[in-house]
Amino acid sequence: MIRHIVHKEFTDVLRDGRFRWCSILVGSLLLISLGHGWVQARNTQQEHAAAQATAREHWETQGEKNPHSAAHYGIYAFKPRLALSFVDEGVDPYTGTSVWLEAHRQNDFMLRPAQDATAAQRIGALTAAQVLQHLVPLLIILLTFGTLAGERERGTLRQLLATGIGRRELAGGKALGVSSALALLLVPAALVGAAALVVASPGPAASPLARGTALAGVYLAYFATFLALSLAVSAWARSARTALVVLLAVWVVNGLVAPRVAVDLSKWLHPTPSAFEFARTVESEMATGTGDISRPDRAASTEHLLAEYGVERVEDLPINAVGVYLQESEEFGNRIFDRNYGALWDTFERQGVVHETLAVAAPLLAVRTLSMGLAGTDVEQHRHFANAAETYRRDLMRQMNGDMTENSLTGDFTYTAGAELWEAVPPLQYAAPPLGWVLGNRVLSLLVLGAWLAGAILAAVARVRRAEVT
Amino acid sequence: MQTAESRPGHTPLLEARRLSKDYGDTRALDSLDLTIAPGEVYCLLGPNGAGKTTTINLFLGFVAPSGGQALVSGLDVATHDRETKQRLAYIPEQVMLYRNLSGLENLEYFAALGGKGSLGRERLTEILVEAGLERDAVDRRVSEYSKGMRQKVGIAIAIAKEADALLLDEPTSGLDPKASNEFSALVERLRNRGVAVLMATHDLFRAKDTGTRVGIMRYGRLVTELSTDEIGHADLERIYLQHMHD
Amino acid sequence: MTVRTVLRNEWRLLMADQALRIVLGLFAVLLVYALANGVVWLRFQERTVEAVESGNVERTSALQQELDAIANGGQPSSPFADPRSPLVLGGPGGSHTAVLEPGSLTALAVGQSDLLPYYYDVNIYTNESSFQQNGEVENPLNLMVGRFDLAFVVVYLLPLLVLALSFNVLSEEREQGTLALTLSQPVSARSVVTAKLAFRALLVVGMVLAMSLLGILVTGGLDSPGRVLLWCATVVTYSLFWFALAAWVNTLRRSSAWNATVLVGAWLVLVVVLPAAINIAAGVLHPLPSRIEMITAQRDASNDAVNRRSELLARYLEDHPEMAEGVVADEPGLGALAWAATDAVNRRLEQVTSEHDAQRAHQIILVRRYRFLSPALLAQDVLIDAAGTGDARFVHFQSQVRAFAEEWREFFVPAVLADEQMSASVLPNVPRFRLADERPGEAARRAAVPLTVLGGLVLLVGIGAGVGLRRVRGAG
Repeated sequence: MIRHIVHKEFTDVLRDGRFRWCSILVGSLLLISLGHGWVQARNTQQEHAAAQATAREHWETQGEKNPHSAAHYGIYAFKPRLALSFVDEGVDPYTGTSVWLEAHRQNDFMLRPAQDATAAQRIGALTAAQVLQHLVPLLIILLTFGTLAGERERGTLRQLLATGIGRRELAGGKALGVSSALALLLVPAALVGAAALVVASPGPAASPLARGTALAGVYLAYFATFLALSLAVSAWARSARTALVVLLAVWVVNGLVAPRVAVDLSKWLHPTPSAFEFARTVESEMATGTGDISRPDRAASTEHLLAEYGVERVEDLPINAVGVYLQESEEFGNRIFDRNYGALWDTFERQGVVHETLAVAAPLLAVRTLSMGLAGTDVEQHRHFANAAETYRRDLMRQMNGDMTENSLTGDFTYTAGAELWEAVPPLQYAAPPLGWVLGNRVLSLLVLGAWLAGAILAAVARVRRAEVT
Repeated sequence: MQTAESRPGHTPLLEARRLSKDYGDTRALDSLDLTIAPGEVYCLLGPNGAGKTTTINLFLGFVAPSGGQALVSGLDVATHDRETKQRLAYIPEQVMLYRNLSGLENLEYFAALGGKGSLGRERLTEILVEAGLERDAVDRRVSEYSKGMRQKVGIAIAIAKEADALLLDEPTSGLDPKASNEFSALVERLRNRGVAVLMATHDLFRAKDTGTRVGIMRYGRLVTELSTDEIGHADLERIYLQHMHD
Repeated sequence: MTVRTVLRNEWRLLMADQALRIVLGLFAVLLVYALANGVVWLRFQERTVEAVESGNVERTSALQQELDAIANGGQPSSPFADPRSPLVLGGPGGSHTAVLEPGSLTALAVGQSDLLPYYYDVNIYTNESSFQQNGEVENPLNLMVGRFDLAFVVVYLLPLLVLALSFNVLSEEREQGTLALTLSQPVSARSVVTAKLAFRALLVVGMVLAMSLLGILVTGGLDSPGRVLLWCATVVTYSLFWFALAAWVNTLRRSSAWNATVLVGAWLVLVVVLPAAINIAAGVLHPLPSRIEMITAQRDASNDAVNRRSELLARYLEDHPEMAEGVVADEPGLGALAWAATDAVNRRLEQVTSEHDAQRAHQIILVRRYRFLSPALLAQDVLIDAAGTGDARFVHFQSQVRAFAEEWREFFVPAVLADEQMSASVLPNVPRFRLADERPGEAARRAAVPLTVLGGLVLLVGIGAGVGLRRVRGAG
C-alpha cells in the first residue's frame, strides 16, 4: 500500500513545474557554491601554506643576531584552511588569518577577509552550508505544505481514506515520496562533495571522511525535522494557505530572526570589553601585575642566581642573568595573557552557548553550530589554532632565551647566534582536533537537534492521527 | 400600464441599443434592444447562459460591449462610467460583504463610496430596518448573517444610494419563501418611488408577481417580451417552456 | 472622498482582523527591539570614543608634567624614554589617537561599524601596516551573523510585512465577492486599490519612520538632517517598491494563493538568492586580492633595512633600552640611522599597499555594480551609508588618518634627523587630529544613482500596476 503512495507522491512532485524550477535553482546554487567554496578553500590553503613556508624561510635566513633580537623578529603563523571549510566557511572570514609570534606579546589575529570586502558581500555570502541551512528547508516546505491540507481542500483526502489506508501509512508514504524527490537533488551534491574530499582535498583536516559523514548526518536530521514539521502543520492547518503561511513564518524566524536575536542576547548576557578597554587592561597588568601575578623583580632574580651559583658578582655567573630574567618576564606575561585572553575566549564560548540554547526556538542554530564545528570553522577551532600558535610562540621564546642564557654571559651584548639555532626550532605543525573533540564541544547542539527531530516526528504522527477529513 | 414607448420625449432610464457581447467565438448577447422606464420592473427570464448576467454586467460597465450601446439615462456606459454608476444600484445573486464588519459598517462604507457619505448612522440604521433587517442585527458582524440578511443589506445599499435604476441578478435564489416574499415587497416599494428595475431571474412566479414586463432570453437573444398584466402564471410558464423547446 | 472612505473602511477591517493585529503588533515589537539594540551599540561606541579621547588628554598632560619637571632640573623617569627625544615624544608613548565619532544614525544601522576600526593610534612609526588592525573586540560568530538593527528589519522583514498586508489587496475583494458591489459604485478600481495600499503604506512606513525618528531624537542624530532625510527617503522608496510589486501582481487577476506564492518567491529571489548569487559571481569574476603577500613584503623590506643597518647594538638598544643599563646611547646620529631604516620599510610597504589597494578598489567598483540587480542590496547600501556606518565613511576616515600621520611625521622627523631635543613648549603645537567629517552632501551624492534606480523601479512597477488596474472590472 505505502509503496503506491510513495510512488504517486514521487511522480507528482517530479511533474510539478514549481518543484522542478525550485530544485533546479537550489541544486545549481548548491553545486555552484560547493565548487566556488572548493576553489576558494584550495587557493587560500595554498596561499597560506606558501606564506607559512616563506615565513619559515625568513626565520631561518634572518642572519646572525642575538637570540633575543631573533625573538623580537619572530615569525608569522598562518591559519590553515581545513578541507571541509569548502562546505561551510563559518567564522573564517571574521577571524584573522595570521598572527605575529614575537617576544613579550601575544598578538591578535590580523587580516580578517571580511574587513576587506564590501558591506554587500557581508549580508549575502553564499556557501553550500547557507544553501543547505536556508534554501533546502524552504524547498521542503514548498513540497509538503499542501500534502494533507491540499488533499483535504480538494476533497481527495476523503477518497483516499475511504480506500481503507491508515493515516500513518498515508503520511509516511508522503514523507518518503517527498524525500526520494529531494534525494535526487541531495545525493549527487553529497557525492560531489565526498569526491571533492577524497580525490582532491582542498586542504588538510583530521579525519575528513568521518567529519564529512557526521556533517551529512546532521543535515539529514535537519531536513527530516523540517519534513516532519511541515507534515504536522499540513495536517493541522485548515487550509493549504494557512499551512504555507505558518511554515513560512517558521522559516523566517528560524533563518532570519532567531540568529540575529541570539547575537544581541548573547552580547547582553555575556558582554565583552571594548578593544580599547581590553588593550588598556593588558597594558596596565603587564606594567604592574595583578592579584597574585606580580612582575618579576630583576634585582631579586639576580640575587637568587648569585646565591644559586655561589658567586658574588654577576660577571662571575656562568650563565647570562638577562636571559633568565627575560624568560621570567616572558612567563609573567604569559600568565597575564592567559588571564585576559582566556577570559575573552571564555566569554565568546559562553556567547556561543547562548546561540546554541536558542536553538530550542530555531533548529538552524543547532545545525549551524554543528556544521561549523564539523567543517572546522567555528570559534572553538579558531581558538584551538590560536592556542597552538601561542604555545609555539612560548616554546620559541623559551628556546631563544635558553640559548642566550646558556651561551652568553651577563652584559655581553655582542653574542650572536646563527642559522644553526634558527633551524633547530621545529616548524609550526598544526593538527586539527579529532572528531570526538568537536562533538564533545557540541553536545548541547546535538541534544537540541535530536529533540527537534523527535519532537517534529511525534508532532507529525499525532497531528496526522487527529487530522480532520473535511 | 405605461411603457417608455408610450411616453414619447421621455428618456428611458435603462436602454440597450443593439447591445452585443462576444466571448471569443461565443456570442453571449446578440443585438439586444431594450428600454426600461421609471417605475417599471423588467424581468429577464431564461436558462443559464442565455445572456441575462451579461446584460447586467454591460449596464454596469463590468464588461465592454462588442457592439451596440448600453445607456443609463441616455448616457453611454462605455464613456460615462462614473455618471452612469452614480445612477445605478446593483444587488448581485450573492451579496458579499466584509465579514468582519457589521451590517451598518458595510452600509456606511458602500453608501460613502456611492456618494452618500453624509448620511448619519441613525439614518443608515433606519434604511437597514426599512430593508427588513432586525434592528438588533444591525451592529452584528456580517459573518453571523444568513444569506437573506446579507441580501437585505444589499437592498439597503441600493436604497441609501437613492439610485434611479436597480440591477438585480437572481436576487431571490436560495432565499426561503418568506424572505423571498419580503424581497418582492421591497422591490415593489422602490418601483413605486419611480425606480426602474432590471431583474434577471429563474423564478417565473416571482417574475409574474413583481415584474411589469417580462423578457425571455435564449442563446443571447431576446426571444419574446410580454406585459405581465396581460397574462396569468400558467400562461407565462407555458410560453417560457414553449420557447425553450423550439 | 473615495480615499477617505476607503481609508476608514480599511482601518475598521484591520481592527476587526485579529491575525493582522497580531502581525502588526509583532512588527512593532521587532522595531522597538531593533532600535534598542542600535542604541545600546551606539552608547557602547560613544563610551569607547570618550575613553579614547580622555586617553589622549591624559597622555599629553603626563608628558607635560614630566617635561616641566625635567625643565626644573628633574630627571626623566627612564633615560630611554626621555620625552625630550622626538622619537619618544612622537613615538608610541606620546602617540595621539585619531577617532571617528560614531555615525549620526548608528543607532538605526550598525552597518560596518562593528567590523571596521574606528580609531587608530598615530605616532611617528605609523605606517601602512598600522591600518591592518582589527576593529572592536567582537565574537567572530556575532560578526558573521550580523546585528538585529532597524536596517535589517527594513531590508529583510519590512517587505514581508508589506506583502502579508497587500498580497490579496484586490484578489481578496474578488474572492469574497465585494469587488462587484464596490465597482457598482461610481469609483474606479484604481482609486480604491490605491487608497487601500496608501492606507497600508501609511501604517507600515509610518511605524518604521516613527521608530527611526524616535531613535534619531533619543541619540541626537538630528544634527545631520541630510542623513535623516536620506534614510527616510530610502525607507519610503524601498517600501513603495514592494507595495507596487504587490499591486502589480494583484492586477494579474489570479487567486490570493497564487499572489502569495509569487510574491514570496519574488522576496526570496530579490532579498536572499540574488545577493548571494551576486556575491558568488563577484567572487569568481573579480576576486579580491589577498593581504597575505603584504606581510611577506613587509618582512622582506624590514630584513633589507636591518641588514643594511647592521649596527646590532643599535638594534638591540632600540628593542630593549632597559636591558642596557650602563651602556649609553651616545653615538651621534643613532636616531637618524634608525629612522632611515624605518622610513625605508614604510616606503616599501606603501608601494605594496598602494598596488594592493588599487587592485582592490578596481574590484570593488566592479562588485558594487552588481548591487543594481537587487533592490535589497541597493536599499541596504544606501541605508548604512546614510547612517554613516557604511564603508565609504570609514575609507574617508582612514584617508584623513593617513594625512594626519604624515603631518605628525613632518612635525617630529626633522627633530629626529637633527638629533634635537624637544621641550614642553612644543606640546601646544603638536598636531592634533580634527576629523573633517564628510560634507553632508557626500552621502546624498553617492546615494543619488542607487536611489534613482530604486525610484525608477518603483515607477516602472507602479505604472505596470496602474495600467493593469485600469482593466479591472467588476466581473468577467
